[in-house]
Amino acid sequence: MTGWRQFMAILRKDLIHELRTREMIISMILFVLLAMVIFHYAFAVKENVDLTYFTGGMLWVTFIFAMLLGLNRSFAQEKDERCLDGLLLCPVDRVTIFLAKTAGNLIFLLIIQVVAVPVFTLFFVQRGYGGDLLLFVVVLLLADVGICALGTLLATISMNTRSRDLLLPIIFLPLIVPLLIAATAATTTIFATGASFGATGTRLLFLLGFDAVFMVAAYGTYDFAIGE
Amino acid sequence: MKKLVSAPALFLAAGVLLVAGLLLAFLYSPIDASTMGYSQKIFYYHAPIAETALLAFGISFVAAILYLRSPKPKWDHLGVVSVRLGLVFSVLVMATGMIWGRAAWGRWWDWEPRLTTFLLVCFLYTAYFVLRSVVEEEQRRATFAAVFAIIAFIDVPITFFATRFLPAGMHPTVITASGTGMPGSMFVSFFISMIGMTLLLVALIRRDLGVEDLRDRVADLKHSIGG
Repeated sequence: MTGWRQFMAILRKDLIHELRTREMIISMILFVLLAMVIFHYAFAVKENVDLTYFTGGMLWVTFIFAMLLGLNRSFAQEKDERCLDGLLLCPVDRVTIFLAKTAGNLIFLLIIQVVAVPVFTLFFVQRGYGGDLLLFVVVLLLADVGICALGTLLATISMNTRSRDLLLPIIFLPLIVPLLIAATAATTTIFATGASFGATGTRLLFLLGFDAVFMVAAYGTYDFAIGE
Repeated sequence: MKKLVSAPALFLAAGVLLVAGLLLAFLYSPIDASTMGYSQKIFYYHAPIAETALLAFGISFVAAILYLRSPKPKWDHLGVVSVRLGLVFSVLVMATGMIWGRAAWGRWWDWEPRLTTFLLVCFLYTAYFVLRSVVEEEQRRATFAAVFAIIAFIDVPITFFATRFLPAGMHPTVITASGTGMPGSMFVSFFISMIGMTLLLVALIRRDLGVEDLRDRVADLKHSIGG
């Protein structure tokens, strides 16, 4: 099989597994909606608070925590059912496994965002604000690639340790902070000021750079992370 | 292993330079003309400590790459030792930074890019040790630690850059592309402290590597007598 077909086969396996069980997506969507309610009450300091300026931050915090849930699940099942051993026995390049896993996680994250973004903007962004939807989609995609690439690499490591899902947030969160800063800054600018490409330019470039750097780093180290 | 300079000599040289740097800072360098005044003296220790911390993490990055290329215990030892020392220096950076912040701005903490970066660096490299503690098998532990050390070191400049997206900082930009922005009389004290701090790091790394080797030997001996 060529690399592309192997990639598609692993991705298809993950998607079919999820379609049949639906355990990950449903919990992640519920988590996102619950987080929204919790944020609402956490910030309800007085009547009619304008949360527009906080929406970007709330969204990205929610996505990153939801992704932690998803990442742990996506490898727990591989480990529990010993699927990973089978996968490693196949004559498949380790990097192909990484790319397919990352793509799978990316798809799950996008599904969650399709639900979460309209709900968050409806509840939190006040009338009179608004921004370029296309620009926001660009920010989403760029940040998602970084979250999923780094997340997949680190979830692979944490899955192979004694404390498993307990370790992932501790190693993932400090590394993802720069991305969180840039994505939040870009999102807030778009929501609150209706910014154009020009105003968010450096942040978009930063996100692009983040993706590129960590894709290359993960590409180079995944062999070691996934183990024998 | 043959050593060019003995360990006590290195410690001594570091000590002499650090004391000299301190004396020069107070007796030779002028009092800062801007609002910082006397509190600026801490700069001659604060900045060299920060650079030494980054140097230590740089060493761990190189050690990690060397380990992944050829998995020898000595590279793993170098990695652990330099991360540990880098972490100690980072905590000192935070402490001296906070003292300076209190004196210069009247606040112990400010979400200023460089200080924030070091806060995150402390979290990052603490996570390195958490990661090591949850992997039992030695070789696997060293491999995972190396992967994480590489990713973490790449993340440091990225974090620093990202903190620039936060609203305004008040840290003085001392070294820019166009020069050091320091009068010569300040630079001498700074430079001597920096060399002293770097020598201290080298001396500590060497001493700690010796400790790691001893630990291995003890483990081997215990193993050989069936303990």
